[in-house]
Amino acid sequence: MSDLDDFKATYFDECSELLTELEEQFAAIEAGERDADRLNAVFRAIHSIKGGAGAFGFQALVGFAHAYETLLDYVRDGRIELVDDVVVLCIRANDIVADHVKAAQTGEPLPADYGMEEKERFDALARGERAGSDDEDEGGEPLDEFDIEFVPVMVNLDAEAPATTSDDAVEDTFDAPPMQVEPGHWEIRFTPHRALYARANDPLLLFRELAVLGEMHVRALVEEIPPLADFEPFAVYCSWEITLVSPTLTEEMIREVFEFVEGDCDIAIAQLGAGVPLDAAPIVAAPVAPVARAVAKEPEPADLLALADDEVASLLDFDTGPVAFAAEPEPAPVSVQDSFEEPPALSFAELAETIQPSPVAKPPAAVTPLKAATPAAAASEGEESSGGGRSVGVQSIRVDLDKVDRVVNMVGELVITQSMLTQQMDETLRARYTELVRGLEVLAQTTRGLQDSVMAIRAQPVKSVFSRMPRLVRELATKTNKKIKLETIGENTEIDKTVIEQLSDPLTHMVRNSADHGIESPEKRLARGKPETGTIRLSAEQAGGNILIIVEDDGGGINRERVLQVARDKGVVAPDVNPTDEQIDQLIFAPGFSTASEVSDLSGRGVGMDVVLSNIKKIGGSVHVRSWTGKGTRMTLRLPLTLAVLDVMLVKVGGSPYVVPLSSIVETIQCSRASFERVPSGGQVLQVRGEYVQVIDLAQRFEMVTDTDADNRFVVLCEAEGSAKVALIVDDIIGQQQVVIKSLEENFERVEGIAGGTILGDGNVALIVDVQGLKTTIVHKNAA
Amino acid sequence: MEALGLRDDMGDKSAVAAQNSLQLIAFSIGEQTYGVEITTVREIRAWNGATPLPNTREFVRGVINLRGTIVPIFDLRARFGDGQTSPTKNHVVVVMSVGDKWVGILVDAVSDILTVSRDDIHNVPEGNSIDTELLNGIVTHDSRMVGLIDLHAVVSGAKMDA
Repeated sequence: MSDLDDFKATYFDECSELLTELEEQFAAIEAGERDADRLNAVFRAIHSIKGGAGAFGFQALVGFAHAYETLLDYVRDGRIELVDDVVVLCIRANDIVADHVKAAQTGEPLPADYGMEEKERFDALARGERAGSDDEDEGGEPLDEFDIEFVPVMVNLDAEAPATTSDDAVEDTFDAPPMQVEPGHWEIRFTPHRALYARANDPLLLFRELAVLGEMHVRALVEEIPPLADFEPFAVYCSWEITLVSPTLTEEMIREVFEFVEGDCDIAIAQLGAGVPLDAAPIVAAPVAPVARAVAKEPEPADLLALADDEVASLLDFDTGPVAFAAEPEPAPVSVQDSFEEPPALSFAELAETIQPSPVAKPPAAVTPLKAATPAAAASEGEESSGGGRSVGVQSIRVDLDKVDRVVNMVGELVITQSMLTQQMDETLRARYTELVRGLEVLAQTTRGLQDSVMAIRAQPVKSVFSRMPRLVRELATKTNKKIKLETIGENTEIDKTVIEQLSDPLTHMVRNSADHGIESPEKRLARGKPETGTIRLSAEQAGGNILIIVEDDGGGINRERVLQVARDKGVVAPDVNPTDEQIDQLIFAPGFSTASEVSDLSGRGVGMDVVLSNIKKIGGSVHVRSWTGKGTRMTLRLPLTLAVLDVMLVKVGGSPYVVPLSSIVETIQCSRASFERVPSGGQVLQVRGEYVQVIDLAQRFEMVTDTDADNRFVVLCEAEGSAKVALIVDDIIGQQQVVIKSLEENFERVEGIAGGTILGDGNVALIVDVQGLKTTIVHKNAA
Repeated sequence: MEALGLRDDMGDKSAVAAQNSLQLIAFSIGEQTYGVEITTVREIRAWNGATPLPNTREFVRGVINLRGTIVPIFDLRARFGDGQTSPTKNHVVVVMSVGDKWVGILVDAVSDILTVSRDDIHNVPEGNSIDTELLNGIVTHDSRMVGLIDLHAVVSGAKMDA
């Protein structure tokens, strides 16, 4: 059953999304937003995780999630007050659920008693509220409908005598087809017991499995549902009649579907018209099939909405149903036709509309008594349905990243071709072919738009990385006995997916560093007159073509004396060098550097921060740290918006084109206006606003001949790692443009001082200057 | 990108060996003729300039854009130690695949396609290390000597410090 693996993969995907949502919701709840919407969202998430876990038999996860869900349910009802203690417990529970999910995914079992303590606390809390009424297992169940997003329809049943009206409607639609059933059909009567729900089974899942076997048609028997006042919370009022049509179907196959719920329900399976040869009925069967399909699909309007994506297919399919039906109206049951208020040839939209308000809803009907069981929850259900409605609007598809990348690359080539075409237009051509010029302008615009849109596809909110941090901070706080609060700002800022993936590790190290080294112990903080709880603030914002990710803490700041001492001890800084405060701060990124006197479990192995630097460099970003003694530390990550396209300045050196990444350029100065000073080595330094900057003459450095007058050349002032500056001297500045980065290594090898190549509009290759690389090789050479 | 149907890697000589004959593309550098196995050749194009690569040996003439891919160009004359070629529009770049990389070799002209027997390949006389390093063997065609280029050797050692 490789299908099962696919389902599992999907389930774990969903789980990670749900867990992310849990983190978000609790971040808000922790901040005091304790409204019903949030609780419902939390409940839904846990419930979905539990539901899937049940289907795949992850018992430990089901058990824990169930206890947690029960607690949440009581909280939602208001039976348990959502005090801070409970919130903390819930947050801890989220972590445990996450661990269980991970264990299920990796197949590495957790200790048997993992989460037991919390589970007992849930049970204790729940028991305290329940006054020992029902058997425990049923506590969380009343809300099984959460899987089914189409609850809204059923809210109508809150009306006085609802059962009859909806019943009628149900019957109108469904009565006829079963009567019409032709030989070879199976009829199943399914009556679940309480225990079935208590074991986290869901009739809907069973029905879906049945539907795979053949043309299915389900009818809910809701006659048993008492008036609202007589509802008993945990009783089961609903049963179903199912008709399955498939020539190859056997009783065994049907039994197999119910295998896991055997004993928890009553099942009666009967074959209609047994003994009639199947091939005797092909002519009749043809029209029946579409009818059955039309009917079978109708009761699931919410599926059309919630699973918006499969829906294209399913809706198209649906469309053909009635049409086929119209073509051969003869065998059509009249009542079925009645159920369509508009006759067959409906448009897609009309169909959707007709279906939506239809009271015909099988699974919701099933759920009604259960829902009413928690009257307090029922009220909030209305809001929930609107919440569900909102998500309906968000349509998305999962696409293989490779496919997107292929498009990105092609668009990159298109951009180059377009700029090449534009460059080919000289004045004569422009004057002669005005239409062509106009066309090229439109092309340029469209290309730019296309490029932006493609990049937007790859862009993702940093939320996915940020949301992993609350847990990290909690764990760090516990381990270090500190009190730490995490604030996140700008988590909807979008960055290229590859950048996001590369961001996770560095950010973890930085947050870890802040929690471990930055924030002081509560006693120390109080002694310093700071609030007992330390704050780590994580923020993301877009600044021009860059994204800034800032990790700030209000801790003790960097202990510069110690840092310098350690750096000297380890030979990172020569004894006779006296770095500035800012330079000392940057030392924490030096390889093999760690000031923690004892290596702690969390950080302090001295591998953390230099990993941050190398990871960030890898994706074309930079890191900067600033510290205020006693007040805190701020680390700023500067990341490119995208990796595929680079904004560059095109320059000429010795007649060859070079490009310098725009993100590293501070300013450009004409050489005649720049003030150079000689240094003993014979080299030059540049004085800019009181700062002396190392000068690298690119022509000299690259051993190229230049015939440009010294005064006509330009200084490109660049910022390398940390805020160290370097002044590059180039022959000419040509302009700015966007380029697609190409690798030199693909067909050659790494070249010193060159970060890669790119192809210009005229088809020539330009080399990308590796500013940081140039700077380090110079230092290296001097040292040698 | 893949315009030619020639997928055989130069390492795969079995098919050729079976026929016991070898097809060569012959090209000239000055008065001398050299050859490479035809299966390694991807395309032949006229010299149209290259972007020089800094910090490389003089025989690395730079890089060109080959339909979106950056390909390095080696000056064969310079590689043999005879100084850089002063290329004109009449000079030719032979693009070849060496292992999984594509490289271009700058030569004076492509002269011929030769079919030679494997048995006719002579060893390179010992003596000058440049000869033995860069040539795989020597064949005679029309009483001319044709040196078989060892591509791997030609493209190695491109860095300054090598």
